Parts: sequence; C-alpha cells; structure tokens
Amino acid sequence: MRYLARRIVHSTLLLFAVSIFSFAILQLAPGDFFTPIRLNPQISAHTVAALRSQYGLDKPLPIRYEHWLRSVWRGDFGTSFAYGTPVAPLLAVRARNTLLLTGTSLLLAWLLAIPFGIWSAARRGKWSDRAGGILTSSLLTVPDLVLFLALLLVAVRTGWFPTGGMMSAGFEDLGVAGKVKNLAIHLFLPALGLVLATLPPLVRHVRSAMIEVLEAPFVRAARAHGIPERRVLLCYALPVAANPLITLFGYSIAAMLSASLLVEMVLSWPGVGPLLVDAILAKDVYVVVGAVMLSSVFLVAGNLVADALLFATDPRIRMD
Amino acid sequence: MRRIRLAKACVVLIVAISCAYAGARALPSHASDDRMIADGTPGHAGGRLVIALRSEPKTLNPALALDEPSRDVIRCLTADLIHINRESLKTEPALAKSWSVSRDGRQYTLQLRRGLRFSDGEPFNADDVIFSFQIYLDEKVDSSQRDLLIVGGKPITVVKVNDFAVRFELAQPYAAAERLFDSIAILPRHLLESGYRDGTFSRAWSLSMPPSQFAGLGPFRLKEYIAGQRVVLERNPYYWKADRAGNQLPYLNEIVFLFVPSEDAQVIRFQSGDTDVLSRFSADNFAVLQKQQATKGYHLDDLGAGLEYNFLFFNMNDLAAQGPPEIAKKQVWFQDLRFRQAVSAAIDRAGIVRLVYNGRATPLWDQVTPGNKLWLDEKIAHPARSLEQARQLLESAGFSWKSDGALVDPHGNSVEFSILTSSSNAQRTKIATIVQDDLSQLGMTVQVVPLEFHALVDRLTNTYNYEAAVMGLVSGDADPTSEMNVWLSSGETHLWHPRQEKPATAWESEMDRLMQQQLVTLDYAKRKNLYDRVQEIVAEDLPIICLVSPNILVGAANRVGNFRPAILVPYALWNIEQLYVQ
Amino acid sequence: MLTQRRKLAWPVVALAAFCCVVLFAGFFAPYDFATQDRDTPFAPPTAIHFVDAGGTFHIRPFVYGPGDSGQSAESSAQGSDQPYPLRWFVLGAPYKIACVFTSRAHLFGVARPARIFLMGSDGYGRDQLSRFLYGSQISLLAGLIAAILSVAIGILAGGIAGYYGGWIDELLMRGGELFLALPWLYLLFAVRAALPLHISQWQVFLLLISVMGLIGWARPARLIRGVVLSAKERNFVLAARGFGASDAYLLRRHVLPQTYAVLLTQITLLIPQYVLAEVTLTFLGLGVGEPMPSWGALLSSLQQYSVLSSYWWMFLPALLLIPLFVVFYAAADALQELHKSVPL
Repeated sequence: MRYLARRIVHSTLLLFAVSIFSFAILQLAPGDFFTPIRLNPQISAHTVAALRSQYGLDKPLPIRYEHWLRSVWRGDFGTSFAYGTPVAPLLAVRARNTLLLTGTSLLLAWLLAIPFGIWSAARRGKWSDRAGGILTSSLLTVPDLVLFLALLLVAVRTGWFPTGGMMSAGFEDLGVAGKVKNLAIHLFLPALGLVLATLPPLVRHVRSAMIEVLEAPFVRAARAHGIPERRVLLCYALPVAANPLITLFGYSIAAMLSASLLVEMVLSWPGVGPLLVDAILAKDVYVVVGAVMLSSVFLVAGNLVADALLFATDPRIRMD
Repeated sequence: MRRIRLAKACVVLIVAISCAYAGARALPSHASDDRMIADGTPGHAGGRLVIALRSEPKTLNPALALDEPSRDVIRCLTADLIHINRESLKTEPALAKSWSVSRDGRQYTLQLRRGLRFSDGEPFNADDVIFSFQIYLDEKVDSSQRDLLIVGGKPITVVKVNDFAVRFELAQPYAAAERLFDSIAILPRHLLESGYRDGTFSRAWSLSMPPSQFAGLGPFRLKEYIAGQRVVLERNPYYWKADRAGNQLPYLNEIVFLFVPSEDAQVIRFQSGDTDVLSRFSADNFAVLQKQQATKGYHLDDLGAGLEYNFLFFNMNDLAAQGPPEIAKKQVWFQDLRFRQAVSAAIDRAGIVRLVYNGRATPLWDQVTPGNKLWLDEKIAHPARSLEQARQLLESAGFSWKSDGALVDPHGNSVEFSILTSSSNAQRTKIATIVQDDLSQLGMTVQVVPLEFHALVDRLTNTYNYEAAVMGLVSGDADPTSEMNVWLSSGETHLWHPRQEKPATAWESEMDRLMQQQLVTLDYAKRKNLYDRVQEIVAEDLPIICLVSPNILVGAANRVGNFRPAILVPYALWNIEQLYVQ
Repeated sequence: MLTQRRKLAWPVVALAAFCCVVLFAGFFAPYDFATQDRDTPFAPPTAIHFVDAGGTFHIRPFVYGPGDSGQSAESSAQGSDQPYPLRWFVLGAPYKIACVFTSRAHLFGVARPARIFLMGSDGYGRDQLSRFLYGSQISLLAGLIAAILSVAIGILAGGIAGYYGGWIDELLMRGGELFLALPWLYLLFAVRAALPLHISQWQVFLLLISVMGLIGWARPARLIRGVVLSAKERNFVLAARGFGASDAYLLRRHVLPQTYAVLLTQITLLIPQYVLAEVTLTFLGLGVGEPMPSWGALLSSLQQYSVLSSYWWMFLPALLLIPLFVVFYAAADALQELHKSVPL
C-alpha cells in the first residue's frame, strides 16, 4: 500500500515534468499557430498580432505555463486556438472512442500473441515456426498506412464492413443488443488493423522469452516426469517467462496509442487521432499538450499495473 | 414595450404557421414577395448528399473561422449581401436585391429583400446587417474579414437608411467594392447580440452548442453534430431562393458532412459510392478514379487551371545590415536579372506538369492562370525550355564553368544554393526536386530542404534566413484587389522582399503605382490594361518565377443533378441549393 | 556446439553477402540513384527477352528500346523492335567506392537509348533497383546506429535501475516514462529547422535518426531492469555477493548476461523498427531528402493509394525486405541458441 501511495506521488510529479517539458519542446520549433496566416494576402500583420495577443502567445513561456496550470485547475486544459473552446471537452469525447478501440485491440493482440508465441517457441526450427517468422516479418515490412489502406479497400470492395465512423445513423434508436452489435461491426476493421500492426513485436517477445525458459532444467525435468506438453508449456514455462512480457505490457499501451493515430485517420474512427494530427501540424499547442498528458496518464497507469503484476508473479522481486 | 411583446407574439404565430407549411412542403407564404429566382434547371425535391471533409470544422462562427472545412460548412448555413457567381466570376444580387453607387463611387446603397427569415423563423432586416458589420469591424473580435473591409486605410462605415436599405461609405473609390460583400455572412442579431455585449462572442457558435442556438440565411441549417464523426445539415424551410418553376430551394433534405481525414480514404470512399461529391484531390488519384468511371456510377471533371499559382523565388531582402552573410553574398546572383532569367529558361515546366500532376496542370509564366479569364493577359510569351539560352544568359552575366561542369560566378565561387519547400506539400517538394535536377544541368548545386510549414513561413516572413523557396498562393478571388498585398512592395506577402519602406527597384515602384491605380479605377477595360502591365513585369523581371497551376479536379456521383463545378472555392458546392438527387 | 555453429552459419553468410552487395551498391546498380528519365515515369520492370520477334533464339538476353516517339510509358514499354543486348561489366554513371575511389564500372547495363529497370522506375523515371541498393546503405546504417544507441543507454540505465533499486530505480524509470511521453516530434521538427541549410541530406537524416535512437532508450531499459530485478536475487548471484564480489563484477559477470535474450530480441526488433520509422519520418517530411534514396522513402511511396492500386512493381522493395528480415531474425535466433549452449 505504501508502495502504491509513493508511486502515485511520483507519477503526479512525473506528469508535472511531462507538462513542463512538453511546453518547452513545443516552444523549440519555430513558428506558432498563427504563423501560416501571415501568408494569407487578405489578412494584415496587425490582425495576426492581435490574434496572438488574444490567445496570450505574445507572453513569455513561464507565464503561459502558469495560465495553463490555472486552466487545468479549472478543468479546461487550456483553450484550443483552432476551435476556440476549452481542450478538455474536445479531448474527452474522442478519448472515450480511442480507449474503446485501443483497449479492445490490446486485449486481442495479447490474446493472439501469447498462444502464437508459445506455439512458435514449442515448434522452434520446424517449418511452421519458420512460416510464422516469415508472416511476422512480412507484417513488419508493410508500413502501417499501407496496411490500413488495404483494410479500407477490403471493406469497400466487399461491403461487409462499414468503411468509417463508429455508429450508424439512427444508433440512438437501437436496443442494447443492437447498439453493441452496431459498435462491434464498426470496431472490427480498425481493431484488426491495430492488432496486425502491433502483433509482430509481441509475438517475437513471447517466443524468445519462452525459448529461454524451455531450455531450463526444470522444464526438462517436468517433461521427463511425463507431464503433458501442454501442461508443461502453460503451467510451468509460461509463468517463468512472464517477467519481460509483463514489463512489455505497460509499454504496449503506449505503442498501441501511437499506432491508433494512423488507424483513426484512415478508417475515420472518431478518436483522438485526427484531432491530434491536425493539432500537431497546426501547432495547436494546448490540444497537443492535453493529448500528451492524457497518453502519459495511460502510460503511467499501465506501468504501475505492470510493476504490480511483476511483483505478484515473481516472488524473487522485492519492491522496497 | 407593449408593441414589442405584440410583435414577438406575431413572430411566434408566424413561426408556427410556417413550420406547418414547411412540413407540408408547400411554399411558406411570407417568402413569396421578394424571393430570388435561380437559373439552374428545375430538379426534384428530397434526398440527401454525403460529402467528406478533410478535417472537422472547428467552429461555425463566420467571424472566427479560419480553416477551409469550417468555411465549407458555414457557406451552406449563411448568405451574403452581394455574391460572386462562381461560374461567371461576376457579382450578382443575394440578400441585397439591388444597389446603387453614388457618383463619386464612395457610397453604396443596398436595397435588401423584404420578408426574409432566418432559419429559425425570425425575420431579417437592416438591423441584422448593421449588427453583422459591427462585429466584423470590431477590433476586439479580430475577425479575418476586418482587413477586407478597410478601404483606403479606413474601415467602411455602415448606415441604416430604413428597415430594408443600408448605405456603405468608403474612404475612397474602390474598384472591387461589390466583391467585398461576397462570403461576408449576415448574422442573426437576435441570437448573437447578448453574447456580443457580454464579451463572450468568441465562444459563440462553437460546435458544442445545441443546434437551436444557430440560425442563418443559407439554404441549410444545422441539425446534428457528432464529435469526430459528422455534421448533418437539414433544409432551411425559410430559404429565399426558388427555381424557375417556382419551387422553393434547396432541393435536398439533408447534407451529411463526414470527417475523413486522409485524402486517399476520401478517394476510396467516393469510389465505392459512400460519398457523392469529391473535390480537392490529386491528379494521381484522378487517374485511378478515371479507370472505373464508366462502370461505377460517378463522373469526373477536369476544370482546367484554378487560381493557384506555384512559383520559385529567391531571397531579395535587404540582408546587408543584418542577416546571414553567406546568404547576402549569394544575393548578388539572385538580384541579377540574367541569373533569374537563366533559371526560368532552364526549368522544364512541361516536365513538372507531366511528372507532378500527371498532365493535369497548366504551365505558367506569370501569376494569372488561364482559369482567370477576366484578367489573363494573352500577350505574355510562353518561351520553351532552353538550356542553351540559359547558358548564354549566365555567360553574359559573367558566370563560367569549371572542367567538371560546375558553375562558378565571376569571383570564382561555385553556385550553390538551397530551395525550401513545405514538407507537408508533396507536390511542391516534387516540383523542387525537378527544378533541382534541371538546374544541375546548368552546373548549379541545389539542395531541396523540406521544412515543416511553420518553420518555413517563419524563415520566409520573419528571419529571412533562406536562399530560395518553392511556394504557392491561391488567389481568394479572380479580382486583382485580392492580390494587393502580394504585389505592393510594402505588402506582407510581397514574398521575395516584404514590407519595404520604399520600393527597392524601378520595376517594383512601377508595380506599386499600377496596383494602386487599378484599385481606384472603376472602368474594367482600364483596370485590365493596368493589371496586364503588372503581369508583364512579373514575366519580364521575374520577382517570382511562375511554374505551374494545378487543375481543379472534381467528381460527383451520376445521380447528383445540377452539378456545375467552378474553379473558385467551394468548387463543387457553390450551387448547393440547386443540387438534387435523381 | 558444432550443430549450433552450423545453424548460425547460413543466416550470417547470407547477411554478409547482402552487406557486400550494399557496400558496392554503385557497382551492382545499373544507374545513378538520382538520374531522372522524365519520359518513363512509373515504367514497369523491363522485360528481358531471349527470343526476338522473328523467333530466333539469342544466347545473350536483350531488351527492346524505346519507340521512336518515346513519349509515354505505354509506348516505351512495348517500344520499337530494336533489340539492345544486355552487356556485363559496362561503363556508366560514375560512383564512389567507400567515398574515395571513383569508378564507372557497372555489373550490367544496356546501351542508350534503351533502359533496363529490373524493378521498374519511380515517379521521376528513376531506376528502383539502383535506388534500393543505394538506399540500403543509409537505411542499414541508420537502423544500426539508432538501435545501438537505444540499447546501449538502455543497458546502462536498466542495469543500474534494476540492480541498485530504491530511489535510483524510481528516478530512472520515471525518467524513462517522461521520455516516452513527451511529444518528440516537435523536437525533430525543431532540430530539422535549426540545422544549417547546406548540410547534406545524409547527415541531416543520420542526425535525426540518432536523436530518435537517443530518445528510444526507455523501453529496452525497462525490459532489462525487469530481468535484472529478478536476476540479482538468484541464488548464485547472492552467493557471489556473499563472497564479497564487487557490484561492477556482479553486474558484468552474473546479472547482465542473464538479460542476453531480452537484449537480443530488442536489438533485432529495434533495427527493423528504426528502418521503418523512417517511413513515418518521410511522411512528415523529415526523412532522407530528395533525391537521396532510402528504404523508408521507397516504402512510403506505397502509402499513396494511386501507387498502391496502379503500380504493382512499387511493392518489390517491400517484398525484398521480407526475406532480409527473416534472415535477420534467423541470425538473431541462432545467436540466442549459441549463447544458451555456452555455460554461464
């Protein structure tokens, strides 16, 4: 418990550090949100300057940071330059959708990676392992964007899946079962894309961790005792191999969140992705900082869970 | 007090009645007196159109919207006093049914249509016009329209003549005065005034507000907004246009704007019939779509050159005082007309058209594109690419070649410079890559440096730390007044040497004079002569080396009727009130 | 032992052969990577013939030259009937070997005006095969540098954090999270914007990818820390500590060797990841600038729907990378096994 409390305090400090550094880094790249307007022949420099001062961009960095902290306290997380509205509500609606997508995909990816990795490790060197290796390498060489475009093409050509969005028109009128079904069918393609994009590294990690363990004397001993192979793999080897995998779990959340940006762009999933990419390119800084804070929270939480799991599964590890 | 209450009661009654009428699809009786008759072929009422937007609209507040998707949606929701017809590129009556100009050209009296209603049923009159211009001209609002409404250094003043007439007064005669009113949306005073008085106008009409808070004079009104997914507009039953058969416009019941962030995804979804209209897409995708044009139910149009011109220019700022010395040294070349002429002669414009735009672009030698038929100077020469001539020009300017073919200037420095482009614009980077290859054949060593757009603009307009750049500008209107800031030497977007206190060269001072003169000349033929001369200067003195203008490409499902795309934004949707589905 | 050595052999030989080809890219590539042939953008792979139109068989393979008009890709693909034989060891565009020697010898080529595009040409009419070979140089180098940087810092930070624990661990791990969370894209934008305009595209790119490598230490560090946490409590480590072994000795001799498997998997995954990260960089305009080729640039052209749907040969570079990665993983796998068989 004390460990948990300490971790939470540390994580809060970390979030502060993230916000300060984000502000500093965003400051580094030249130009701000209103810079491109200077190229509009119909808008004068005077107007651009007025807009900048209206949004406080003419003030020094520390003062802007202080303003931002105040707005965080109010629950606004700053004002988006592009939307002219507080950032928090903008992000909140979309974060929910992104979470639904990444959560589902994370679950699916691990549910696929673990059996696939174990199977591949157990058949190491056999042709089926090799085929698996070729499959994961080819998935790695296909750029994510190409993968997602291909999925979109499949959806468009077959007509089996909706080609974008999260809900059909008239969603509100459906019953609970209908709503779930409608969501699931919209979720299928983006989730598949995300799983395919994040699966290869996971499989390789599971495979290598299992191989490491399968050579250990206790596994040989277990096999010699005539314990069925399946039981050896799942009940003896897997828990021992879990250490790096659990650590990886915390990070796979971060990887998933960044991969979801592209999937949401191509398959029009109404998540944080399109908003964030727009904001990054336009330098809508408070939206970017808001999204960074959001993903940091997930990252920190994921690592906290991972550390707790590590502690729980590996009795050798002492936390204090 | 009492009269006001009575009036309100009347309004409520009228709203109720007209709503009932609208439901029955009959003409609301009140709209009959002053409706405008649109000239398209009569179509069928009903149906809906699905259109993809590249990103979400950011706000529906016309005074604050800066991005194209927001403006696309706002155009469907609002109306202006005088409108530029996208097809003829000339002005036509809109909310103002007629107008008169005083003899000195400084006073415009506009007669407004009577009996018009906002999409929530509230009546429209001169007070709404006065209120709207008050907002656009308010310094605290920082609307992007404000700068347009400053003529001769002074804001336009607006006076109410009576309930259905307003008078605009300009500080000086202004050739394009009528065109000023285009896209300046008239706002409903009854909905926005209280927010404006409280100082909360900057948050008004953000998308998070409920649809009942919005009203406009456009053909459609807001029905629903789902964050990240779509905006749905519905037919405005009070709209003030009718077709020749007397049917109330618009025809469509609904417009759905889907948010599809990537161009390729938009193309794929258009191809599959998910969306009905497609504009702003690349020539490469045009070629892909074209293959299936016959079998799928859509057709594509190549409208020819739009109003965008892409060009290469050199840094001609006065860097002697401050600024990087190594760039200042190279400016000796850049300021030599023969050097610029040689570069222009060496560039393979036809190659750019073919490789970058698949042939769907027009090579340019000055800033006015062939699409702008009103202002194009036909006399400008179109010399073919000639490396031979380029070499001669360089030789006459004292340049020579080393044994390995590298070009050196009269002082023996080898000719090396970099061309900046925007990293987010693949086409311009491609243009720069071709220019690089062309110039390497003259022995110049050129680097293409793609920079993130903000960093690029910062260098071009702030630090002047660059040597050359490939850029593009899109004229907001066909009229040269929209380009004042580009050609005046004091202008902000006089890119190669902005904000000069007095013109640095003789041809820049001539250009200043011509631009100022055309601004106050009211006769079109005389203005055309003046602007022709500006084009000649651009072609001869090469402040910018114009390269290419991409064609405007649009596509629509075959079932969309009255589809008459134009080269001015919003290319395919300018007559949205007349679009119908078969 | 021996069988394991043999298992290691074939992937290593294959990799070495590939590196050789890449090192002498200029020799194996028929053209310079930047030469544009504006009449043949997106030309399909050139067909190599043995039998001519008259039905006569030729020992020496040949290609057909461009048609007389030679304007569009379609006409030049069929071309005239004029055959141009394929020649070995021809003189062509000059190139440098190891940045020092200049040579003009190429393995194969055809006489102009015919062209040989074994993997087709790109949107500027540049030979894809030449671009792939030259691109391998920079991409492999970039991937290697970035992966080594990440893993080196990762070992250091992860080892120390896991071994000493306590506040050091907390500091390093929270620092790692900080690194993962920050919007580095802007740092890359800023670095790119701040660089002088005249530094070469290769240098810019290597610098950017090195920055990425430096930033990317957090994940390997965390993985290594997890293993170290567990490894340092093992009985033999405890025993060694009981005998008074120093921390440095323990780390080097007993703890870090246990992280070998994780480390190897990390490196083998990171190299392709950094190679492919360039696709994203190119997408943002931060990749290797034109006209320099790289794998990332080759792959990123696939991201356009028009290319994806119209020109199948643009997939060839991606297809070539698959066996390469497979061999790469096989080598890593064999290394892991080799390590296993060496007693700790």
